[in-house]
Amino acid sequence: MAGSTRGCAMTADLAAADSAISLRAEMARARRRRALQLLRRLVGHPSFLVGALILALFVAVAVLAPLIAPYDPNKNNYRYVLMPPSAQFWFGTDAYGRDILSRVLYGTRVSLLISALVVICTGILGTLLGTLASYVRPLDGIVMRGLDGLMAFPGVLLAIALAAALGPSATTVVIALTVTFTPRTARVVRSGVIVVQGMQYVEAAQAVGAGHARIILRYILANALSPLIVQLTFVFAVSIIAEAILSFLGVGPPPPAASLGNIIADGRSYIQEAWWIAVFPGAVIAVAVLGLNLMGDGLRDIIDPRQRNER
Amino acid sequence: MSEQKTGMKRREFLVAGTAGIVALTAFGTGSAQAQVAGGEVIVVQGSNPPSLDAMATSSGASRNITMNVYETLYGFDEKVNPMPILAQGVDISADGLTYNFKLRQGVKFHNGDEMKASDVKASMERYRKVGATANLLDPVDSFEVVNDHEIIFHMKAKTPTFLEAFSSPRAPAVVIPEEDAAAEAGKTSLVGTGPYKITDYVPDSHVTLEKFADYTQDTRYDGPDGFGGKKTAYFDKATFRVMPEPGAQVAALEAGEVDIVETMPVPAARRLANSPDIAVQQNLQWAFGTFILNMNAPPTDNPKFREAIQVALNMEEVMGIASEGLFGLNGGWAYPDSPYDVGDIGAVDYYNKADIPRAQALLKEAGYTNAPFSLLTDNSIPFHGKAAVVIAEQLKAAGINVVINQVDWPTALNVRLQDTGWNGWTLTMGIEPYLGPVAITATLTGKRPHFVKNDPELEALYKELISGETPEIRKATFAKIQKRLYEFFGIVKLGDTGQMQGLRANIENFKMFRFPRVYDIWRKS
Repeated sequence: MAGSTRGCAMTADLAAADSAISLRAEMARARRRRALQLLRRLVGHPSFLVGALILALFVAVAVLAPLIAPYDPNKNNYRYVLMPPSAQFWFGTDAYGRDILSRVLYGTRVSLLISALVVICTGILGTLLGTLASYVRPLDGIVMRGLDGLMAFPGVLLAIALAAALGPSATTVVIALTVTFTPRTARVVRSGVIVVQGMQYVEAAQAVGAGHARIILRYILANALSPLIVQLTFVFAVSIIAEAILSFLGVGPPPPAASLGNIIADGRSYIQEAWWIAVFPGAVIAVAVLGLNLMGDGLRDIIDPRQRNER
Repeated sequence: MSEQKTGMKRREFLVAGTAGIVALTAFGTGSAQAQVAGGEVIVVQGSNPPSLDAMATSSGASRNITMNVYETLYGFDEKVNPMPILAQGVDISADGLTYNFKLRQGVKFHNGDEMKASDVKASMERYRKVGATANLLDPVDSFEVVNDHEIIFHMKAKTPTFLEAFSSPRAPAVVIPEEDAAAEAGKTSLVGTGPYKITDYVPDSHVTLEKFADYTQDTRYDGPDGFGGKKTAYFDKATFRVMPEPGAQVAALEAGEVDIVETMPVPAARRLANSPDIAVQQNLQWAFGTFILNMNAPPTDNPKFREAIQVALNMEEVMGIASEGLFGLNGGWAYPDSPYDVGDIGAVDYYNKADIPRAQALLKEAGYTNAPFSLLTDNSIPFHGKAAVVIAEQLKAAGINVVINQVDWPTALNVRLQDTGWNGWTLTMGIEPYLGPVAITATLTGKRPHFVKNDPELEALYKELISGETPEIRKATFAKIQKRLYEFFGIVKLGDTGQMQGLRANIENFKMFRFPRVYDIWRKS
């Protein structure tokens, strides 16, 4: 009898295991289906597609700058000072005789790298603070009032003040912009987390005794990240502009390093005599920001269910 | 460059494209033109005057304004010789121990009071306390008022160069009312004796001057001469506006919103060469471009390292870019053909060599191991920042680990006062070379030489220079000073740089000078 009972129990365990495996497989298939659907929607969304292509182009340019730049971006040449665009210098030269095209290519690299670092740092810090504030309720007031304090300063002004205090460098720009953009990002994350926290599946997870880490990572953040992703595309776009502003004001990467902002700054005194110094990097910034904004709009349309339903 | 290396003349002005845009108008020729009184002239400059207390600052931005407002006993004429301005003249005793200044009579302050010897005494005593170059009165033991129009300076020792030093406009020893003598630096009533008086000052915006109706002209002269002469205010009002951005200054000039741009970017000047509305003037001997090395901080505390920097530099490229093409290659520490020009002495083997292999050998000899070289510069004065970028690239090519520290001008001035934390500093010296060897050497000696650490031999030569009895003796000493500067390499002479000024074509009789003289100019009707 005892053996028979054990046999029945084993059969039941096997059935339960089979059921769990098939449930997991079904869930995996559902995830793949959703991913494919998302991909199809992304590719089919004109704004996102155009934005993504522009961004991809900029990333390619940034990565390949050392290979495709026709000249050393920092090579001074007194004999080629302020040369207009020509077959030799497609974007002309600056007051040091440096090739603007090469500087723009390297400047794009610097600007994108700084902006990407800002996005990563802002994403991590914003998520951490936003989640902390909403999940650990006693900390909510302290964290959010601190962030409100930072938000009280105009963003770019705060970045300028921080950059001026820390001294001119690329690291300074990353720190200044991260501090500037983190509060807004944390707010977005906090709002999303508060909404998701009230969902039944989160309560169910709590009821079955899931740990805090699992609840936060698996159930809350996974379902609250959509607005964060959209927010970060805008942070990326604004970072490119903000980096240009800080470099223009002389608190970005120190000379002779090229960044889009300091190339424009170099050209401001010669705007009537050598328009090309400021116009080409300016156009690059405009196109990059346009691309990121289009991508962000597309993502918002696709990810946000409300937007989807409205359409 | 190849010519340089094979023994070309030591200096050559490269001002391609600027010939033909020079509209030089001699001062004093106004009698042939119809002077027009009244109206307002607007001058624009890039920097805010840190103070309008003339004796308390050596800033050029202040001097541009204050030299139209205040006057000194003695100043420099057009040819940089001392000339009496508020003084009638000076009698120097045979032993050189007393200077008896007789004052012009009837000169009035802007407050209506007559200038007297007691005002001069009070002004000089204040200068000792707050003067930005107070040491120029160090040779004076005491001031004795003889009567209302006579004052004696009793000297501690015979100082043959005193009158030249006393005439310096760098931080001029101006005469102000006795009532202002107790005022702290920057807190006077801004009353002077000049043809214009200050009526409004809004920091970072503008300074307004008004014609002083009771101005007492110096009738010994026919017209203005240097800092003195017979001055006539034609404009009722003169406004000095502060506009940091050169492009905005030029745009304002083109639009007719301002009349005179104190520093005109060279490319803009070339663009406007044929404009019927704009005239451009230039002075090729405006300033020295220099690169100062900190002899107190490693690696520049090593003379071999400093020598490596000297021989590595391509001055033509540095000056060409930094001055926008308006420069002269000159390794000497006086302008070509000036009274103290001592030629190539010391410079022949070191100036404008661009010799990277020689520099690398010297670096090896110095035991240089890639320690960072902090190059201090500022973004306020275009020449400084540009020269730093070009120098940095040239030194990197020689194997020096250069890090540029670009800050604003006031910060740069603070950083360079520190004993360490910087190794090289780009600086244009404008007024010192204009004043001559004593002024130049004074910045390299004494309590705080530009290169931080004193060179004992140079200190001795400076003493020899200021006690030289005649110009010939002083010139011989200056030759030794120049030679010495090429032996310890505390400062690198980059070259001579010019300056351009732009003005509306209807402003007549303006002649470029060390400050924009707003008197004896008028607007064509």
